[in-house]
Amino acid sequence: MSGQALSGLKVVEWSDFVSGPYCGKLLADLGAEVIKVERPGTGDKARSYGPFPQDIPHPEKSGLFLYLNTNKLGVTLDVRTATGAQILSKLVEQADVLVENNPPREVEELGFAYKRLSEINPRLVMASITPFGQTGPYRDYRSCDLISFNASGLAFVNPSDGVEDPEGQPPLKGPGHQGDFVAGLSGAVATMAAVLTSRVTGSGQHVDVSEQEALASIMRSYLGLHAIEAMTWKRLKGSIPGMVSDKYHCADGMVYLLCGQDRFWAQWMKAMGDPDWAQNELFQDRISRRENWDAAKAMIEEWTRERTVEEVVRTADASRVPCRPINTVKALANSELAAARDYFVDVDHKEAGTVKYPVGPFKLSQTPWRVQRPAPLLGEHNEEVYCNRLGYTRQELTVMRAGGVI
Amino acid sequence: MSTQKLPLEGVRVVDFTAIWAGPHVTQWLAVMGADVIKIESNIRPDAERAAFIRTTTEPTMSAVFAALNYAKKACTLNMTNPKGRDLAREIIKVSDVVAENFGGAVMDRWGLGYPELKRLKSDIILYSGSGFGRTGPYSELPAFAGIVEALGGMCLLNGYLGSEPLPMATRGYADLTSAQHGAYAILAALYHRSKTGEGQHIDLSMTEVVGALLPEAIMDYTMNDRVPRPQGNRDVAMAPHGCYRCQGDDEWVAIAISNDEEWRAFCNAMGNPEWTNEDRFRDGLSRWKNQEELDQLVGEWTGNRTRFEATDILQKAGVMAGPSLKVEDVAHDPHLAERGFFVELDQPGIGVLPMAGLPWKVVDGPRGDYEHSPALGEHNDYVFKELLKMSDEEMARLQEEEAIL
Amino acid sequence: MSMQALSSLKIVEWAEGVPGPYCGKLLADLGAEVTKVEMPGCGDRARKRGPFPDDIPHPERSGTFLYLNTNKLGVTLDVRSRTGAEVFKRLIEGADILIENHPPSDVARLGFSYENLKKVNPALVMTSITAFGQTGPYCDYSTCNLVSFHASGMAYINPSDGVDDIEQEPPLMGPANQGDLVAGLTGALTTMSAVFARRMTGLGQHVDLSQQEALVSMTRHQLGNYTVEQFPWLRAKEARRPGVSEVYRCSNGLVYLICNDERMWERWVEAMGNPEWAMTELFADRALRRENWDAGKAMVEEWTMERTVEEVVRLAEASRVPCKAINTVRESVHSELLADRGHFVDIHHGEAGNITYPGAPYKLSRTPWQVNRPAPLLGEHNEEVYCGRLGFTRQDLTVMRAQGVI
Repeated sequence: MSGQALSGLKVVEWSDFVSGPYCGKLLADLGAEVIKVERPGTGDKARSYGPFPQDIPHPEKSGLFLYLNTNKLGVTLDVRTATGAQILSKLVEQADVLVENNPPREVEELGFAYKRLSEINPRLVMASITPFGQTGPYRDYRSCDLISFNASGLAFVNPSDGVEDPEGQPPLKGPGHQGDFVAGLSGAVATMAAVLTSRVTGSGQHVDVSEQEALASIMRSYLGLHAIEAMTWKRLKGSIPGMVSDKYHCADGMVYLLCGQDRFWAQWMKAMGDPDWAQNELFQDRISRRENWDAAKAMIEEWTRERTVEEVVRTADASRVPCRPINTVKALANSELAAARDYFVDVDHKEAGTVKYPVGPFKLSQTPWRVQRPAPLLGEHNEEVYCNRLGYTRQELTVMRAGGVI
Repeated sequence: MSTQKLPLEGVRVVDFTAIWAGPHVTQWLAVMGADVIKIESNIRPDAERAAFIRTTTEPTMSAVFAALNYAKKACTLNMTNPKGRDLAREIIKVSDVVAENFGGAVMDRWGLGYPELKRLKSDIILYSGSGFGRTGPYSELPAFAGIVEALGGMCLLNGYLGSEPLPMATRGYADLTSAQHGAYAILAALYHRSKTGEGQHIDLSMTEVVGALLPEAIMDYTMNDRVPRPQGNRDVAMAPHGCYRCQGDDEWVAIAISNDEEWRAFCNAMGNPEWTNEDRFRDGLSRWKNQEELDQLVGEWTGNRTRFEATDILQKAGVMAGPSLKVEDVAHDPHLAERGFFVELDQPGIGVLPMAGLPWKVVDGPRGDYEHSPALGEHNDYVFKELLKMSDEEMARLQEEEAIL
Repeated sequence: MSMQALSSLKIVEWAEGVPGPYCGKLLADLGAEVTKVEMPGCGDRARKRGPFPDDIPHPERSGTFLYLNTNKLGVTLDVRSRTGAEVFKRLIEGADILIENHPPSDVARLGFSYENLKKVNPALVMTSITAFGQTGPYCDYSTCNLVSFHASGMAYINPSDGVDDIEQEPPLMGPANQGDLVAGLTGALTTMSAVFARRMTGLGQHVDLSQQEALVSMTRHQLGNYTVEQFPWLRAKEARRPGVSEVYRCSNGLVYLICNDERMWERWVEAMGNPEWAMTELFADRALRRENWDAGKAMVEEWTMERTVEEVVRLAEASRVPCKAINTVRESVHSELLADRGHFVDIHHGEAGNITYPGAPYKLSRTPWQVNRPAPLLGEHNEEVYCGRLGFTRQDLTVMRAQGVI
């Protein structure tokens, strides 16, 4: 379909679960044609992970799969068979981009090393998204989101609250599959850079995205402080010491409020009606305020606990002090903000029915985000891709199906 | 290798961003070869220059600023001065992308909103990053990562079972993930422009970025009207799946077992202790249901080893395992070192430093641009004399008039 | 649902392809409750084999699968996993019969030998349908319908026509899955015998069905002739019986006509209008007719070729000479006779739609054959069986799905 930012870009996605598919989704959602290759039978592993409507597992109704695979065409293919490998080569021949997240050794063994693929298709951009990259001593480590998250240092500095002794708790991974998502996202940026290059030079490249690096990159300020200021960190209970932005309990929920920052303190004290305790010398200057923040926070929380979230937010807004409710996803989905931004869209899916999905996190004025098609059923586009584009007959497809190739 | 082109060579970015999220967007662009011109002012430098300063850094080059702004150029323009804004317009006329992340419609108020920019240069791409989007009820509010994560649902999902909410890895997770979405959107817009000649306006909301990375929870709500709670280190299916204490000071190893085969390999690696034969651990579903006790028992094994020993033993057995690294460990990780993830920046006034690079690596391809982070106004000459072709006198006059300030 | 002949029998079918499932179908179609256990992902391998509507492979639209699995409940289960093995044993606990068709060594390795299962359920009838049985030097041979058919001798004596030199052609297996179907049929029969035995003793038993033996049993006539008369069965060129029973071409098709004895010959000759040639010496008695039948057939065909199939059949039957059209499956499906018998039935299936299926080749006056449900979708009854009967929760099922157990 013309008119979208990446219309005309042809992508083959030979990847599974989250990291590769998220990269593929980002490209597909902006109009690239993405052909997703899944193994016959079970298909992408995300189909087996929920959430499922009413908790009834169904391979066409996994919320994770449906979200990650909007706007893609789907085919089945067992690339471990000789016929299957041949077909993948043909698909790659016709593509601009290959996104894959398979273990590097397997990719080589199956004959899909970039060197060989670039001979078939010199324009090809191959984006390989793996836990530890294509090189280095951990290249062949078996890994998943938990492992990568911990290998980046992010788990160690992920603070926790409501626990007495943070060092008694293990380092904490982010919710869901943050690590895999970030790797896929970095992959999309790197892929687009390579695509832009290839438009100019006419030749492709192999992009090597390591999830560990993608997450370590998010640690850059810590790493910078370590390199320059020789800082190190212990496990964090609650906020970072000295951080005066914090969460506060209200009568009916919690807010995240930045009242302690120097630029907001005076306004906030005024908004709270200039309480007496604030006159104490402990809270008069910034340095001592930081040092005694626990006490300040306790006093402020006495005030917020007597008010609803809505009241506190309204008060803060009126005083131009940053404050917003701490939302559950339900509250986010039903928020005024989400409605005003059209953050959720109804997507119709043949099996899963009509479900609300979050849309892309940015708006493009000329080439807006669009759902052209929902996530594909397993093998939904076998005929369209194999017969119409690669020239196989229907009968050949029945033979391949019986033989487990598709 | 260096004869190969960087992807964004020839692309110029006028960079009004500051602090974290915005600068990381333009950092990606700069490393990939774009000519990024950071617009600051002596009366209003990027506030991050002065953040977290101790004694080892220059007063206008904090460690965090250095980590986020290498490969860029910097000039000083007084945007409160109409002549300063005119100069900005001149720079924009010879640029491709304008990036900003103000808390509110500052660009509009300066007469530099998208319609005006389009008149200056018809194919201009304007990137606007904000906490809540440039439309909607909070379009005038500044963004803070904690706030955005709170609103976006992250805080109430991050944490141990039963814990209180908290933004994740507080220092800027939402900022830096938003930045990558922003960089991606800009590249897509550049791609579109290369086909059609058309620019556009990109309006990114950090709150929406947070949600975009939490679809499991959101879809569970939209499908089942249910609100998920933090799950700590647990997984929907795998058990054991968590972090286990090892020898050493607050040292842990992460282990994940996803099927019977891996479980058997794991048991063998542990020397088949008695407890692994108990009924409650012998099959996947039972292990998942009894994971609290299972975690304790696994911890007994890991407790006798260092995290690196445990990792080595388990990886050799084909089990997913890895150390939980502290910041200092990451800085010295042999794998990252061999891959060249850290880049040596020669930072004036501070010295040669290993800074985190970007996770962008082209095999046998060109190395990104890793010039040091710029001092305030370091490239004024380049911007005003070379790009805008000003004479020395003109520049001096504008400095006097406090347009260049 | 009214009482059917086998209502109250509970069967677990751990089998795929044709033999085991056909056995299961025969029992299910007469009212037994058959729970079919399939591998997660791909399911029964028959799902990969067509025919498919419009030749578009689809795991819920395989004609072979749909036919063979009417009236069954379907669950997914990977019995190779520990959790899966435990669940399987629980299903066995509640069953009267287990039908399985796996290689004996696999069954033993998984812990499902009859010795083990009878400890779980002493009343269990376990019917194992395999190519060569549970014992003997070939018991672990890998095989399929082709191999079994040939191993029974049936291929050797399967005649063919229209070839010049039969010995240049390989022995011929029956069409499609004949061998497998016969094995399944024999399996149903022998299973019922064990059910009866159990009524008397209260104990189950292991039924060891060898497909080779089931097919050899179909050649008992030839075997008898060989054993008693030392009759040398050579490759058969035509379907020629002693006498004139065979295929004759008509103007618009083919008929098969039986003419076994003198009196039938006379009636047939009369039906043909007493042609001269039939009265000659050459065809005076059976032995002579057999000797000279090349010529005889040519003469008959001169007559039949001038008439339609319908005419020839009418004339022959009027003279009480058995004769019927040789039908393609199309003609068979539309045949008046079968319509009259209500042999073909329309079944509606959620994915495959409305299709006409062969029904049962018999009618039971009290407890007729009926379709209570079409073939199950993959995993369609996971919840009903696992939650409803075995007491698992929905959450248990989501974990098992993500672990690949179901």
